[in-house]
Formats: sequence, structure tokens, C-alpha cells
Amino acid sequence: MSMEDYDFLFKIVLIGNAGVGKTCLVRRFTQGLFPPGQGATIGVDFMIKTVEINGEKVKLQIWDTAGQERFRSITQSYYRSANALILTYDITCEESFRCLPEWLREIEQYASNKVITVLVGNKIDLAERREVSQQRAEEFSEAQDMYYLETSAKESDNVEKLFLDLACRLISEARQNTLVNNVSSPLPGEGKSISYLTCCNFN
Amino acid sequence: MADSLPTEFDVVIVGTGLPESILAAACSRSGQRVLHVDSKSYYGGNWASFSFSGLLSWLKDYQQICIDGEESTVKWPDLIHETEEAITLRKKDETIQHMEIFCYVSQDLDDNVEEIGALQKNLSTVASSTLTEPLDSACLVKDKRSVYVTKYKMPAKDTLKSDRETSLEVNDIEETLEKENDCGDKTRVHTDGDKDEKPVEDNMDQPKRNRITYSQILKEGRRFNIDLVSKLLYSQGLLIDLLIKSNVSRYAEFKNVTRILTFWEGKVEQVPCSRADVFNSKELTMVEKRMLMKFFTFCTDFEQHPDEYEAFKQRPFSDYLKTKKLTPSLQHFVLHSIAMTSESSCTTIDGLKATKNFLQCLGWFGNTPFLFPLYGQGEISQCFCRMCAVFGGIYCLRRKVQCLVVDKESGRCNAVIDHLGQRIHAKNFIVEDSYLSEETCSSVQYKQISRAVLITDQSILKTDSDQQISVLIVPPVEPGTFAVRVTELCSSTMTCMKDTYLVHLTCSSSKTAREDLESVVKKLFTPYAEIEINKEEHSKPRLLWALYFNMRDSSGISRSSYNGLPSNVYVCSGPDCGVGNEHAVKQAETLFREIFPSEEFCPSPPNPEDIILDGNDKQPEVPGTKNVLMAEVEP
Ligand SMILES: Cc1cc2nc3c(=O)[nH]c(=O)nc-3n(C[C@H](O)[C@H](O)[C@H](O)COP(=O)(O)OP(=O)(O)OC[C@H]3O[C@@H](n4cnc5c(N)ncnc54)[C@H](O)[C@@H]3O)c2cc1C
Ligand SMILES: Nc1nc2c(ncn2[C@@H]2O[C@H](COP(=O)(O)OP(=O)(O)O)[C@@H](O)[C@H]2O)c(=O)[nH]1
Ligand SMILES: [Mg+2]
Repeated sequence: MSMEDYDFLFKIVLIGNAGVGKTCLVRRFTQGLFPPGQGATIGVDFMIKTVEINGEKVKLQIWDTAGQERFRSITQSYYRSANALILTYDITCEESFRCLPEWLREIEQYASNKVITVLVGNKIDLAERREVSQQRAEEFSEAQDMYYLETSAKESDNVEKLFLDLACRLISEARQNTLVNNVSSPLPGEGKSISYLTCCNFN
Repeated sequence: MADSLPTEFDVVIVGTGLPESILAAACSRSGQRVLHVDSKSYYGGNWASFSFSGLLSWLKDYQQICIDGEESTVKWPDLIHETEEAITLRKKDETIQHMEIFCYVSQDLDDNVEEIGALQKNLSTVASSTLTEPLDSACLVKDKRSVYVTKYKMPAKDTLKSDRETSLEVNDIEETLEKENDCGDKTRVHTDGDKDEKPVEDNMDQPKRNRITYSQILKEGRRFNIDLVSKLLYSQGLLIDLLIKSNVSRYAEFKNVTRILTFWEGKVEQVPCSRADVFNSKELTMVEKRMLMKFFTFCTDFEQHPDEYEAFKQRPFSDYLKTKKLTPSLQHFVLHSIAMTSESSCTTIDGLKATKNFLQCLGWFGNTPFLFPLYGQGEISQCFCRMCAVFGGIYCLRRKVQCLVVDKESGRCNAVIDHLGQRIHAKNFIVEDSYLSEETCSSVQYKQISRAVLITDQSILKTDSDQQISVLIVPPVEPGTFAVRVTELCSSTMTCMKDTYLVHLTCSSSKTAREDLESVVKKLFTPYAEIEINKEEHSKPRLLWALYFNMRDSSGISRSSYNGLPSNVYVCSGPDCGVGNEHAVKQAETLFREIFPSEEFCPSPPNPEDIILDGNDKQPEVPGTKNVLMAEVEP
């Protein structure tokens, strides 16, 4: 690992109802584009973007649902070693907001309890069709102790801010962790990943 | 969420167990349009893992009487054309039997338990004494299921407080830090100054026994990931190969099994299985050490010395071992814990092969030939499902299939009808055994697996470290019964709460699970009691909670035993009884090659890091960044 050219690596996972713009947010941030039409990018497990924060290279590994949210069938393993969760709803879709408690239940069940959760209301470019007021969302996120932000993947509003703020927060959490533990604590991958690399290291 | 399913696919797969999930990944990976459904609300079928409350709900579901197609809005007969006929599928899974639950810990009511999604306390009303009667299975059904707690807590680090002292973690394996556990490293520091924090126990010879109650188990219920089927991964086995080759390994994390144990003369002992182990063993005499080393050395290239075993080749391995100047306890080690064979059945040549295999599997990831997936076996099938979804496969749990629709003329299946009456077309269909109707399976002879799941308070073999993962084979006592495999998991495997162990017992059934396994449970454990009565029993770990059940073993059933299945309907079996997952992998690969003879089976997907992103602000990825350890922070 010492050859890696980054100081931190974090796994960020997106969840929320289908159609709220998760894939668009990821692609806006990592590729700088708003994909025309729908459809998942076949074969892409996660996207990577390395950002620099105060002179430190932070590699963000951003995981999308692979469409499994469509019929409420996300695998638990998807949540397992996430450092941060972006819980997304669509401000023009009341239903996507009303489903948030269900998503929180999944988080509670399967994610690490050290995970940082951000609530994102997407599609603010469609303000005229807004169904969920900012105030309601703020109250909800406060009650749940989550950070809250409104974005537009289409207009690129707040998308950078979302990921960069998250990265900052993750760094400070990780710092705190290592200070407190006085050991280089891998977070949260407590097990071994298996790969050919590991195999060759033995015997 | 009123999203309806697409209706055209290449492959429809019913059941999300391991073989079906591997197949789903393989099909999707090779460009097939896959629909993967399960009638349950969870992944994995009989390969699933559950939180404690999840397990209780699962048990409850099995005890309910079949509610006949309640949800079906449209019955299939109305949807079948004249040129077609239907093969109905089973409405209710019947692969689990003889469930018996025992709760040994007190179910005190002072704790205000509040676990989200959990069945609340006083679920079962078992006496907390040592005299435990099997819980009448009907008991559970009568229980009131309290309302789900609908308050959501922020998953913040301090929501739950460590309410016990932290035991010393003297550990010789690298990564036993429980980062995710509430009582883990971080919180530990937080609570250091707490008044209720008791002093750290530093006398390892007399480990402190915690008082654990049923409500604590319920409260910490989500810490549990209880496997229905208990398996391990051979470090050189087919599943590891497949995980690595297909890159599915990136979705999971593993720990090494740290010890192989043996039950010898009424005592649990560690089997020295590496050279270092043999040297360091305190149980072995110098002479024994030398004998064992010599034997191991011989086994690693036994083929080169045919003269040494030729005469015994087809005779029992146990007889052969008697000639090798090994003491009886060493013979026992080699036979049961290393070759993992049962006395009667194993020939010398197979025993030597197994021993050699064992020795070769050592040292790849650690000191034993086995790996265990964090969060339980149930993760593995889900990982393959994720891979399938990444390549466009569509997932739908809670979707029941009423019937397969067969075209009379061609004799081929061309669609399924789901419980909403929706007709879904495909070219090939893969169905897990438990979904097939009694009629289809009327001439099938099933075996059974006997299972026990125990929650205990201490390890069956205490050492400095309380974070051991151990495997113990208890040989059969009576003829006609089978060896029992015991797997003991510590909390850092993310399968049980802190200060407990999750113990799985597995054997081929000769009777009900309890009849098959209770004697082994009694040998190794003592029921939990508030006051220690019997001093002698003191050293045994205590049983807090136990579950017995039988699971159908549908492995090794030939396809021709099923009645009247069209040629494009393929059957996957449920879990087999073996330690490893080889059966599932072989089955998936065999079926895949049958359906798509010219396609490659689960090739490596492109590395996401190699997908160069367009756009002006991209950061070029440095080559050679493959095999990144997931989410590892390098400060
Ligand atoms: C270090 C070590 C590595 C092993 N690796 C494997 C392995 O990768 N896969 C595995 O299945 N077993 C492996 N075995 C053998 C395995 O531990 C036991 O033979 C098997 O679990 C016996 O279980 P049983 O008596 O319940 O099943 P059985 O009824 O004896 O066999 C169950 C099924 O497992 C298959 N099987 C048995 N032994 C092997 C083997 N050596 N290799 C491949 N298939 C086998 C058989 O075809 C059969 O279908 C290994 C043993 C050791 C000691
Ligand atoms: N107007 C607008 N449309 C958006 C925005 N983000 C996504 N969409 C559209 O919403 C639809 C669903 O987006 P997608 O990213 O696939 O959602 P996902 O299912 O959550 O991944 C697509 O048609 C997008 O074009 C946004 O910020 N503004
Ligand atoms: Mg999407």
C-alpha cells in the first residue's frame, strides 16, 4: 500500500429511492457531466475521484446502488464498510422524502455506527416543482443528527461542496480516531481483503 | 415504488442462495439480461445470515401455517393459454424442520430494551433455570409481536454505551480490533473515565464472567449475524479462486480461522497443524513432536514414496496411521482434525491426499486452511448478486413465482407468472430446489442436515486472546451416526455481540437436530445459571441460548429425479453438509457451461480504477493501483 499516492481512502455509498438522481450526482462529481437519458453505467462498480484537501490527497471511492434500490433489494453487504452514506431524495417528489425513515432503518441495521450520513435533497433546479420544503428537510435531518444539503446534479449546484465537505469531515474523524487509538486503525475494513497480491505474499 | 418489472429477459433465476447467485453473476457478466427473484424478504434462502431479531422472525415465519396465496391478485389459471400448461411452484418453503429453542439466560424485565426491528423481550417464556425443557415450538407463534420502534436513532458513536468492563485483548493476530463494535476501540476510550466502568480484568486465568441477560442479547441483536448454514472457505478452494478471479472478493472481507481443535479424552485441545505449532505445542512430548514432523514431511510428497503406503492404499487410513509410530492422540489428530475424515469411510490414499491438501492450504492467509467471511456466510451470495446487478441484472426480493409456463408444442418453458399475475418471459430458467412443488419432487430422496446455533459466554478453549475462530470435529460415538463439526466464532467476526461466542454445530442427520447434537453440546457446555452450583462445571463455557433445527440437504440430487421439468429449466440445490463451498461453485459452473457452452465463466470485470474518466478536472490515476484494500485509511 505504501506505493499508493494518496493519504486517505474513503468509501462513500449512495442510497435513496430510484430516480432521485444518485447516479447523476456521482457522475457529475467524478466525471463532471450530466448524463443524458437514463440507464446505469453497466459494469461500473464504483467511481473514484482523488481530491486534494489542505495539501493532502484524499481518494474517494463512490459506490452506487447498481439499481438494486428499484425493488427495495439492496444487499446488506453494500453498506458494510462504508465510511459515509449519502442519503438522497428528490425535492420534487414527496414520496422519495417519505421513504427516508425506511432507508434510515436499513442504515441502522447494516451500516457501521461510525458512518457519517448526509441527507441530500436533489434537483433544486426544478424549484418550481418543489414538494418538500427546505425547512421540513432541515427539521428532519436535525432530528436524525444528519448533515443536510440541497443539490442539483444537472446544474452542478453544491455537488462539489457535498463531496468535499464530506471528505473534510471524514479526514477529521479519521484523525481523531488514530489519535485516540494510538494505532494506525484501518477504518472500517477490519478484515482481510483477499487478492492475488495477498496470496503471493506468503510462502 | 409501484414500479413494475420488465417482462423480457434471457434468464430468470428463482432463489438467491449461493449457487443461484454465482450463476446470476456469471450470466449477467456474460451479457445476459438477468432477472433474479426471491420469495423471501432477505437474500440467501437457506444460505442467509440473520441478526438475532431477524432469526426470531425467520423461526416465526416457519411456524406459521401456510397462508395460501393471499397476495396473489390474479391466479395463474386465468393467465394460461390453451397452448400452454403450468408447472406450479411451492407456496411455502418446507426445508426446515424440528426447530427447538432454549433460552438459558434470565429474561429480567428491568432493562428497557429498545431495538429497532426487533421482536421485543418476553418473546419466549422459558424458565431461566438449568432445567430447561424444549420450548414448545408453538410457543413462538402465540407470542405477541410488539410494535416496531419507529424512532430512528442517528447511528452515532455514542448511542450505545459499553456497559461492561473491557477485557484485556492480548492478541497475536493482527487485526482483531473491533472497530465497528460499540464496545470497540473508540468507545472504549470514551468510556474510560466513566464511573460505571469497572476495572479492567487482568487475570486471564480466571476470566471474569459477565452476567448476560436475554434483553441484552435482544438489545445488541444487530451485532449478530447468524448463519443458517455453517461453512468455511478453504484457502485454496474453488470459492476463493472464484472470488478472486471474478473480483467479487472486493465486496467482502475475511478472517482466518485461528485454531483447529480436537476433542480427545474428554478435553478440548488445539491441534498443532503447522511446523511452528508442532514446535510450540505444550501438549506434545519431544518424541511426539518428532514423529508428527516426520509424518507431515512425508505427507507433503507422499506420492514420491509409494512403497511407504502401497499396501494400505485402499485400506482404512486409520489402520495405516497405526503403523506410522504415532501415539493414539496423534492418530486422532491426523484422522479427525487434519484429514477431517471419519474413521470407517476413509481410505489411506484419500487420507494422505486430504492431509497433503491440508498442509498445502496452510500459511496462505494464516495458520489454518480456512477463512471465514466477516458478517457471516450470508454475505457471500449477496456479493455475487451485487456483481450481477452491476452488470445490469435486476433484483427483486419478496417476489413469488406462482408457476412456470410451458409451451405444449415445444415442451419448453417460456415464462413465469409472479404473484401479481405478471407474466415474465425468458429463454432459460434456474430454480432452486426448495421452490419446486411436491409433485415435481415426489421421487426425490432428500438427506437432512442437523444444525445447532448456540450463544455462549466463553470459548471452548480459553487462551490469552478471546478473539479466536475455532473449528472442532467431534467424531461419532455410535456407529451409524456422523461426526459433528463445531465452529466457534468470536465477536470480531461481526457475527455476535461482545463477550459472547456464536457456536455452530453441523452434521449429517440421523435423527432430529437435537437428538443428533445435544450430546456434543452437553460435553462442551454447561447451561447458564445465575449461581454456580457445580464447581467442576465451572470451567466449561456457559450456554446462553440455543436453537436446533434440521435443514433439507438437496445436494447431489440428479436432475432426472425431478418430474416433468422442461429442458430449459435448471435446478440448483440448497446448502450441502460439507465444510467448504465447493459443491455450490461446481454446480454453478457446471450449469453455466451447460446453458452457455461458449461463454467464459465469471471473468474479471474491468477494474473501476482503470475506467478513465472524461472531463477536464479529472485526476489521472496512477498505474499499479490495483488490488486496493477496500476503505483502508492510511494516515
Ligand atoms: C486442508 C483441506 C482442504 C480441503 N479442501 C477441500 C476442498 O477444497 N473442497 C472439498 O470439497 N473438500 C475439501 N477437503 C475435504 C473435506 O474437508 C472433507 O473431505 C469433507 O468435508 C468431508 O465431509 P463429509 O464427510 O461430510 O462429506 P463427503 O460426503 O465425504 O463429501 C461431500 C462432498 O465433498 C466432495 N469432496 C470431498 N472431499 C473433497 C476434496 N478433497 N476435494 C474436493 N471435493 C471433495 C465430494 O465430492 C462430495 O461431493 C479438504 C480437506 C482438507 C483437510
Ligand atoms: N432536473 C434535474 N434532473 C435530474 C437531476 N439529477 C438527476 N436528474 C434526472 O433524474 C432521473 C434519475 O436520475 P438517476 O441519477 O438515474 O437517479 P438514481 O436512480 O437515483 O440513480 C434522470 O432522468 C436524471 O436526468 C437534477 O439535479 N435535476
Ligand atoms: Mg442509479
